[in-house]
Amino acid sequence: MRRGTWLLLFAIGCAGSQSVLDPAGPPNRSLNHLFWAMLIVASVIWIAVVVAAFWAALSRRRITREDLEPIITVPNEEHRRHTGIVTGLVGATIVILLLFLVYDFTVGRALAERPSRTLTIEIIGHQWWWEVHYVDPDPSKIVVDANELHIPAGEPVQVKLSSRDVIHSFWVPNLIGKRDLIPGYTSSLFLNADRAGVYRAQCAEFCGTEHAKMALPVVVHSRNDFAAWLSEARAPAAVPNDSSARDGRQVFLAGPCSSCHAITGEPAYGTVGPNLTHLASRKTLGAGTLPNTRGNLGGWVVDPQSIKPGVRMPSNQLAAKDLRNLLDYLQTLK
Amino acid sequence: MTAPRPSPQESLGDLTELPTVTFGHRSLMWWGTLGFMVIEGWTLALIAAMYFYVRQNFLDWPPMRTPLPSLPIPTIGLAVMLVSIVPQILADRASRRLDLGGVKLWLLISSLISLVIPVLRWYELWSLNVRWDSNAYGSAAWLLVATHATLLLLDVSDTVGITLFYWFRRMPIKAMSDVADNSFYWYFMALIWVPIYLIVYVGPYVF
Amino acid sequence: MTDPIRRLPPNESAVAAPGVLPGARPTTLSDEVVLADAAALELTWADKPGLWGWLTAVDHKTIAKRYIFTAFLMFIAGGIEAALMRMQLSRPENTLIGPDRYNQLFTVHGTTMMFLFAVPIMTAMGLYFVPLMVGARSIAFPRLNAFGYYTYLMGVLFMYVSLFINMGPDAGWTSYPPLSGPQFSPGHRIDVWAQVVTFTEIAALAAAVNIIVTTFKMRAPGMSLNRIPLFVWAQVTVAFMIIFAMPAVATASTLQLASDRAVGTHWFNPSEGGDALLWQHIFWFFGHPEVYIIFLPALGFITSIVETFSRRRVFGYTAIVLANITTGFFAFGLWVHHMFATPIPELGQSLFTAASMVIAVPTGVQIFCWLVTMFSGRPRLTTAMLFILGFFFTFVNGGLTGVMLASVAFDKQVHDTFFVVAHFHYVLLGGGVMPLFAAFYFWFPKVTGRMLSETLGRWHAWLFIVGINVAFFPMHFLGLNGMPRRVYTYLAETGWGPLNELATIGAVIAVLGVAVFIVNAAISWRGGLFAGANPWDSYGLEWATPSPAPSYNFVNTPVVLGRHPLWDTGSPLPVVTGLRTDRREVLVTTTFDAQPDSRHKHPTGSIWPLVLALVMAELWIGSIFTPWAVLGGLGLTLLGMLGWGLQSVREQDVERVDTGAEIVEAA
Repeated sequence: MRRGTWLLLFAIGCAGSQSVLDPAGPPNRSLNHLFWAMLIVASVIWIAVVVAAFWAALSRRRITREDLEPIITVPNEEHRRHTGIVTGLVGATIVILLLFLVYDFTVGRALAERPSRTLTIEIIGHQWWWEVHYVDPDPSKIVVDANELHIPAGEPVQVKLSSRDVIHSFWVPNLIGKRDLIPGYTSSLFLNADRAGVYRAQCAEFCGTEHAKMALPVVVHSRNDFAAWLSEARAPAAVPNDSSARDGRQVFLAGPCSSCHAITGEPAYGTVGPNLTHLASRKTLGAGTLPNTRGNLGGWVVDPQSIKPGVRMPSNQLAAKDLRNLLDYLQTLK
Repeated sequence: MTAPRPSPQESLGDLTELPTVTFGHRSLMWWGTLGFMVIEGWTLALIAAMYFYVRQNFLDWPPMRTPLPSLPIPTIGLAVMLVSIVPQILADRASRRLDLGGVKLWLLISSLISLVIPVLRWYELWSLNVRWDSNAYGSAAWLLVATHATLLLLDVSDTVGITLFYWFRRMPIKAMSDVADNSFYWYFMALIWVPIYLIVYVGPYVF
Repeated sequence: MTDPIRRLPPNESAVAAPGVLPGARPTTLSDEVVLADAAALELTWADKPGLWGWLTAVDHKTIAKRYIFTAFLMFIAGGIEAALMRMQLSRPENTLIGPDRYNQLFTVHGTTMMFLFAVPIMTAMGLYFVPLMVGARSIAFPRLNAFGYYTYLMGVLFMYVSLFINMGPDAGWTSYPPLSGPQFSPGHRIDVWAQVVTFTEIAALAAAVNIIVTTFKMRAPGMSLNRIPLFVWAQVTVAFMIIFAMPAVATASTLQLASDRAVGTHWFNPSEGGDALLWQHIFWFFGHPEVYIIFLPALGFITSIVETFSRRRVFGYTAIVLANITTGFFAFGLWVHHMFATPIPELGQSLFTAASMVIAVPTGVQIFCWLVTMFSGRPRLTTAMLFILGFFFTFVNGGLTGVMLASVAFDKQVHDTFFVVAHFHYVLLGGGVMPLFAAFYFWFPKVTGRMLSETLGRWHAWLFIVGINVAFFPMHFLGLNGMPRRVYTYLAETGWGPLNELATIGAVIAVLGVAVFIVNAAISWRGGLFAGANPWDSYGLEWATPSPAPSYNFVNTPVVLGRHPLWDTGSPLPVVTGLRTDRREVLVTTTFDAQPDSRHKHPTGSIWPLVLALVMAELWIGSIFTPWAVLGGLGLTLLGMLGWGLQSVREQDVERVDTGAEIVEAA
């Protein structure tokens, strides 16, 4: 069974929601062509060199006394032939490298094209979570979210990257190569997806204790779905109707939560941790660490350190009732 | 395997007439000294490159609200540094003539001058008019001057040490070659200070 | 008396024919004279007995043996760390090792393998063999050499004591600020890293200066530049690379990162005009050449081994020398390909892509030359050759993925993933460690006088080569599949579990291979077959003296009449006589033609290298805790230098001084 899995993985390459080889957009598709071309040429060269080396080493194992006399002088003709062979091989190497170079530049130029008008999203790296701003000229329409990225399919999206603490790296393998988030620099990247779905991104530059648990689901919507999602996301959080959720809101605002977390529309302005306005609609908790279920959420609130040791969020000793109410409230934050 | 052949060993020459003490590039120590000069010169060049790299992050150089470096003491320091080459050259020459008196005299004068230099260097550091922890400009200027100062301090100790040896001990004749190498190294330390002085002290007035 | 020139190739006989010294006539040495000289030389050159002799030893072979032994221990330590990490990663969401410990493990693994194993062991091979291969009595600066070793040893001890008291560095072997800066890495873990790097830099620089001066000034008469063994050419190229690469990392770690952390400078702090990217530029300006500093000596091993076992002088000597030098130059022009994901101008990136592809050419030249040599020779498949085949199988794979990584678009996808982890382990294990093991099998007899077991050797080779490939091949897929490097765990949903498990199995196989080697070395050290002077019927000068080599290396300095002395001239080699046997004396020759120029008095054993290394260790380790330690350390350093100098000038001797104008006898 397990061997079957391995074979399967080798056979299908690396298809999946976090794979370079399963392109979900034009840039990565053209990169894949480059990759396969280079891989095939490289494989042929590799096999040729290995076969040559083994052939040379294994084919003449006559051990007579005469064979052991070192060869010091090589006949001129033979020497010329060897020179010809080596020169030819070096020439072939240079030609292959030049072809690679030209192909690479072509792909690189295509990837570097800057679309004129696009949706702009700002991503700010934190130890160990992602802050996401959907930029809009109208300040009331700016959406602040975290740990999940929503983009439309069929339309290039500009992602502006910066960091508040250490270096992180933003990488959606299915879409395009990575880009570092470096404090003191702002860099940008164009995402161009043409297939709806959920793709997994993960921090690719070592950024401290919990680098391993800093993922970012990237949701690619169809254009219409994205517009709907965005307008929904612009709505601030509402005060819940349900009484237990209302009590939970009090726990949130009066307790330690609001000193680190913000909820748009509520008097909670903390910026140390992720903005929780749309917490309940996210697919994961703790930056891609756990599926977002009520049980996991409860566990996370009470003891994040056992789930993601080193995370900046402290453990919270809440009375059972308060915890229940708090979870009721958090689950209303769609 | 070829069996060891019992043929006798043949000598193609005898080395007894070769000299055992040589000067300059014929001596091993000269090459070792050259090696360390390259290493140290390269280190200083890298720091200078980083000084210019950091420069790009600022509009003004020195940055706003940071005064320009003062020039008087560093300029005196530079002059002393250059003057100090003269007795070193004389010590170098004396050593090559195996002139013990000359070596002792010029080493003593070199040592006396070289002892002034660290004192001047202390004031040169403060003539930068910025602290190392004020901003990246301060860090860069301090590192360049302080690194040279550290290497210089070792060279001063070397010069003073060899002078004391010559005045208070009977030195083997071989040490004459070491005197020449010490001067060789001193030329390097003194001359490399010129570009550093220009970059760190004059530079902020220019760029 | 037969003609000493047995089979001299026609194109090399121009320089230094017999009669190396003007007017000298060939004489025959009687065995009695040679034996008497050997006895006198042993008294003069041997390290003193006992503990004191052990601490004051300066014989380049003694020091190099300690270097190799310590560095190999570091290979084992780094391997244990790797095995622990593989255990942790063998299953998704494994809880064997937590993030804090894991981050220390991978940092210490990388730092150990690069700084405490690979560079030291490669230069140590040079420190052992370069003097022997150029026919010198010793190395140029034996005390500096000992000082380098002790400094390195301090670094080793400091690193591992720190790791065991939970103070191991944890920001990766690249220690990028700001993560490694004072704000995000309080405590002393990163200070440990910065100082360990300093220790190893000093050691590497000391070794580099030694190798260069030994090669340029102490070659046997007749060994003109075009007769220097390719092993030595590789070592010299690397020594020059060390001189230009190591100051970069020393500046970055010791002068900038450490001072940012200790006294509040702002090199890497963007809010005060510093720059986080500056670190990456300096670090990789060192870091990329570092790879070739590990790789080029290995190419030198390969040439020696391929020539000897193919029974044919290597094809393309000049091409290989030029390839070495070209690689050395280009290695400094590639650093930006480690930074393609950072915001730097795209035009610059293209240039570095081109440079990164071009560097494949000189390596290709060497590989093609070896292939032709093997094809036109009569290869014998010894264990050493088996490892050379392992090199072809593994390194060429890593080299080709390296060419692919030169592509900016592709690199941005797999940079900082397990694909890159696979790539550089293929390059370093295939291009560094496999040739190193080949070299161990080849030169072990010269160092110990005994042969390593070929039977165990074959087990070792197969287990290691197979294990390494099983461990690292799947990682290419993991990287393409999105697995970033330096993660202590991963979720089951990523699907990375099975390939990780396979990689762990491979690691276990490779560990078994190394275990077989350790057993082999332990048994053979005392119980192996006696080797004799030249067990492989090889050609180099190191095989022209008994195994193990005596403390004075050669009774009389050999004279070289071709590139392959023992093959060209046969044994025994002609020699020159006249170096004193009652004091340590080495022959200095001219830089290009290696004509005898002078006899130099050579240092004896000394305690001061050890003392000075201890003092410097106090300085650097102390500076972590208080900057004042630097002042105290500087004072002690001066005292140490004084002691060193006093010892140097103690012995009076009658010398023949060449003042340039005349030769004077004086004391």
